[in-house]
Amino acid sequence: MKMRALGAVVTFSILGGLLLGCPKDSSKPAPGTDGEGGAAPSNGRIKIAVIPKGTTHEFWKSVHAGAVKASREVDVDIVWKGPLKEDDLKAQVDVVSTFVAQGVSGIVLAPLNDTALRAPVKQAAQAKIPVVVFDSDLQGDDHVSFVATDNVAAGKLAGDHVSKLLNDKGNVVVLRYQEGSASTQNREKGFLDAVKAKPGLKVVSDNQYGGATTESAFAKGESLLLAQKAETGAVNGIFTPNESTTFGMLLALRKSNMHKKMKFVGFDASDKLVGALKEGDVDGLVVQNPFNMGYLAVKTMADHLRGKKVDKRIDTGARLVTKDNLEDPAVKEVMQPDLKKWLGE
Amino acid sequence: MSALASLRTMRRPAWLGPFVALLVVYTIFAIITPEHSFLRSQIFLTMARQSVVLAICALGMTLVIVTGGIDLSTGSLVALTTVVVAKMLKGGSSPVVAVATAVAVATAVGAFVGVCVGRFRLMPFVVTLGTMAVLRGSAIGLASEQKIDCDPRGLDHLLEASLSAPGIWIALALAALVAIVLGYTRFGRHVFAVGSNEAAARLCGIDAGRVKILVYAISSLLAGIAGVMEFSTLTVGDPTDSVGLELDVIAAVVIGGAPLAGGEGSVLGSVFGALLIIVIRTGAVHMGMPSWVQYIVTGVIIFVAVAVDSARRRRTRS
Amino acid sequence: MNALVVSAIEKSFGPVDVLRGVDLEVHGSEVHAVLGENGAGKSTLMRIVLGLEHADRGTMTVGGKPYAPRNPADARRAGVVMVPQERTLCPHLDVIENIVLGIEPSGPLGVLREKDAVAVATRALALVAGEGRIPIRARAGAMSVADQQLVEIARALAQGGESARVLVLDEPTASLGKSDADRLFERVRALKESGLAVVLVTHFLGDVRDHADRYTVLRDGKVQGSGDPKTAPPEQIVHEMLGRELESVRGEADAAKGGAGYRGEAPGGGAETLLELRTVAGVAKPRAASLTLKRGEILGIAGLVGSGRTELLRAILGLDRVKSGEVVVTAPRGMGLLSEDRGGEGLMLGRSIAENIALSPRGPLFVNPSHTRADGARWISELSVRSSGPDQRVGDLSGGNQQKVQIARLLREDFDVLLVDEPTRGIDVASKAQVLDLLRELAGKGKGIILVSSQLDELVSTCDRIAVLRRGELSASRPATEWDEEKLLLEAAS
Repeated sequence: MKMRALGAVVTFSILGGLLLGCPKDSSKPAPGTDGEGGAAPSNGRIKIAVIPKGTTHEFWKSVHAGAVKASREVDVDIVWKGPLKEDDLKAQVDVVSTFVAQGVSGIVLAPLNDTALRAPVKQAAQAKIPVVVFDSDLQGDDHVSFVATDNVAAGKLAGDHVSKLLNDKGNVVVLRYQEGSASTQNREKGFLDAVKAKPGLKVVSDNQYGGATTESAFAKGESLLLAQKAETGAVNGIFTPNESTTFGMLLALRKSNMHKKMKFVGFDASDKLVGALKEGDVDGLVVQNPFNMGYLAVKTMADHLRGKKVDKRIDTGARLVTKDNLEDPAVKEVMQPDLKKWLGE
Repeated sequence: MSALASLRTMRRPAWLGPFVALLVVYTIFAIITPEHSFLRSQIFLTMARQSVVLAICALGMTLVIVTGGIDLSTGSLVALTTVVVAKMLKGGSSPVVAVATAVAVATAVGAFVGVCVGRFRLMPFVVTLGTMAVLRGSAIGLASEQKIDCDPRGLDHLLEASLSAPGIWIALALAALVAIVLGYTRFGRHVFAVGSNEAAARLCGIDAGRVKILVYAISSLLAGIAGVMEFSTLTVGDPTDSVGLELDVIAAVVIGGAPLAGGEGSVLGSVFGALLIIVIRTGAVHMGMPSWVQYIVTGVIIFVAVAVDSARRRRTRS
Repeated sequence: MNALVVSAIEKSFGPVDVLRGVDLEVHGSEVHAVLGENGAGKSTLMRIVLGLEHADRGTMTVGGKPYAPRNPADARRAGVVMVPQERTLCPHLDVIENIVLGIEPSGPLGVLREKDAVAVATRALALVAGEGRIPIRARAGAMSVADQQLVEIARALAQGGESARVLVLDEPTASLGKSDADRLFERVRALKESGLAVVLVTHFLGDVRDHADRYTVLRDGKVQGSGDPKTAPPEQIVHEMLGRELESVRGEADAAKGGAGYRGEAPGGGAETLLELRTVAGVAKPRAASLTLKRGEILGIAGLVGSGRTELLRAILGLDRVKSGEVVVTAPRGMGLLSEDRGGEGLMLGRSIAENIALSPRGPLFVNPSHTRADGARWISELSVRSSGPDQRVGDLSGGNQQKVQIARLLREDFDVLLVDEPTRGIDVASKAQVLDLLRELAGKGKGIILVSSQLDELVSTCDRIAVLRRGELSASRPATEWDEEKLLLEAAS
């Protein structure tokens, strides 16, 4: 009997919820700490959902720290929630639609795919929930702003550095990342634009793709070096547009004993790449600023929600790191943000 | 009193346990989410939408598990279906042709698995472990190692968080259909018989191999339909989609009261199991729980479901 | 009229002639018992009648019409149905679902017609169990064995449909208690009176005397005798089953005992007691078993299929739960079981001889494969196992040599008590003698052995004392010299 009564109560409450659509606003204040709570912002506090592509990579931890910093500065609550599995597109779609259904004040999203996330973002717009997109772009114009590294500019940074190192003359190779990846294509474009501006520099190969993993990039890099007869000095400069291609190319250079014989500029940083930078096997790394990305994305959303006008495109900046400026405080802050301070880990 | 007594001698419906678990978990979330936002109708519809793929796959898996088998290729098959649909649409096919082709491919795969299991008596675990890898590879190869972008041509409206979206109704209709097939047809009876005691089924003139072929074909057909729903959500063909989906599907069926040994299971139970998993997932997002908590909660619920079930079995036996 | 006539049926498997011209006539409205020892050809004959095997020569008729079934479905169409010895219900399905399995009444698209199913099933159930005896919606798995048996008979009748005329029951009471068996025969009588011909394959002479109208004894693929069991003295039936002249059996037995170093008498009262059972009962079987085993003796246990022989050994070893009574083990170095199921639980058929012998709960944390191999080689020569060496797969050995490997494992553990279950099943005659000699030798060296066997001659020739297990109850043991095969069979089958 007890069981049945409980069942009845629950069933009625579910039906009630369905029929009423939304419970009446309660005056009870919601808990206000970030990272928890899940109510509609009925008490006037702004609550922003921040949805990264994943949660375990160092990059996203820095973004998280930046987002926390912004939330404290501009006094809003954030909920940090990535897809259940790293890089799981379907899971991200589900997380976005759940937040839309829940009715948060705003959503800050790093879309895993530039078309697949369009529908849930559109849904958010229809529900009057603004969306700020960060890290990677999204097709359509349902989002308020796009906060990310200007990849063309970042690629240009690398191109200029290679030119400088080669004194504007020599043969240059690009090992691309993957077809259909917008951010790396822009980096490659920025690099090629900068190099082609110098008549003394010649691009001898820019149609090879390293693929998604370090292994594939390593294999491709090795055969590329052979094909271009790099051992004869026919290649003077190399650019790779992301972490996996950079590391793969580094391994290829070391294996064929051609490191230090040519100027090599890569993208993104990891402990291994920074080590190679210190040893002189890599001559420069262009790094993004994930901390700033998280910070600006949340700040932009808060500004928008408070009625301020925000730009459609916000650059979070990239920075060239070399052996010489590795110890600069500004570089250090980008390379090793104080996660502990913001995430309490 | 006599009514109560007759209730007691009746078989307790297999879906009652998962239903109660669903209500309990739902109620807990409804109470602890601030403002009780868990009761909003939009949340309902969103959960319904999110359950569709899992639930449709669970329908097929229920059949497979009732025969005492298992299908590990579900996730890969869903991913392959999204790729086939996207590729066909991109190549200019009409949505109807694209969907029909993708579902036909899925069904053919299931028939192949069924022949291996039913006719050649290979272990379903091993056969589908192999199929899982082959299908995943095929999907990635077919998509040239990237997501296939295409104009969804209305397929994106198949599944939305709205009562007017056909996807949710299709899922409900399929659930009803499979429940009828399992409960009220000769074929359904033979599915239970093969899972319960295959030797006895053969003795009674039932072609157990044929039953298994049909079961795996139907299961894969349903996975194909689920793949179309998945495409509707993604709007792209994603060869890396749904990695590990089969484990969620198996969990849903097991929570739904079907032991992996076969012979038992109910469609309604599996659907409740799928809903339970989605409620936990949604609730975790609501509470801002990190992913690891979600994993642990789901795992604990599987343990509890199986423990309660086996305790009940022991009680009725003695 | 004759319901089933079998004439001059011959059947051989390879070089072995299993049936050598068997004739059998079964009338409508009679219960016809088919008797015979293991291997007499009963099951092959029944498999031919059911269409599971095909006769090499000979003819059959059912209801006067020629009958040559290609498969059980053919047999069913002709009205011949069987309830096999092992249980074949689907435990998860309910009674009705089981009865109509494979013949479900259904409409378009295979949708079940539940009402028709209930009608078919209740009709069949009413024949075998009377109205309301069995709840039709109970799950088969939750029912008693006796009720399951009735449901199986109902299923056989339902599947034979209106034309069911011959019902074959293979050892129907093997797993039933006395009262359940009686109830079953009550129903069988009712079926018989409704015109059905019932073929009863059984070991139980008592059942045959009480419930059969006629009997036929098979031995070595031939009919050895038939008649009315109510008038034929049981000694005569037993004699027909065993066939050998009493004197020659006795002679063989004595020779075997002599050859194996048999001392001709039980060890004296002074020998150390290794094991004692005080009215032990398991969950289903055994029901009541008391025995004492002393050092240096072989205690034989005789009993029919289903009497609880294996269950008794498992209960002694603690593999099955003991519900009441006491197992007192005084053997200092414990007990070991030689399983009747060599492939299933006795040996790892896919592993080497050495590994099988070395399998033990004790022993060092790390094993040295060369030690294991050397140890294996030692046992191989000790027990003269015919093999290519300690690395050979056990599955590739002959049955007799597999049995020796099992024994070697028990000896390596140096158990005091060996529980030996059907050690000669499925092995050739020469190996049989070797295995039995080995057991005698081990007893001579001070082991206590309990030997379970369905080969009665083996028990008489090998054991010091023999007790008979009947429907789970173990009689007091008597010296082997007081037994012969016929007395054992009479005792076990009555």
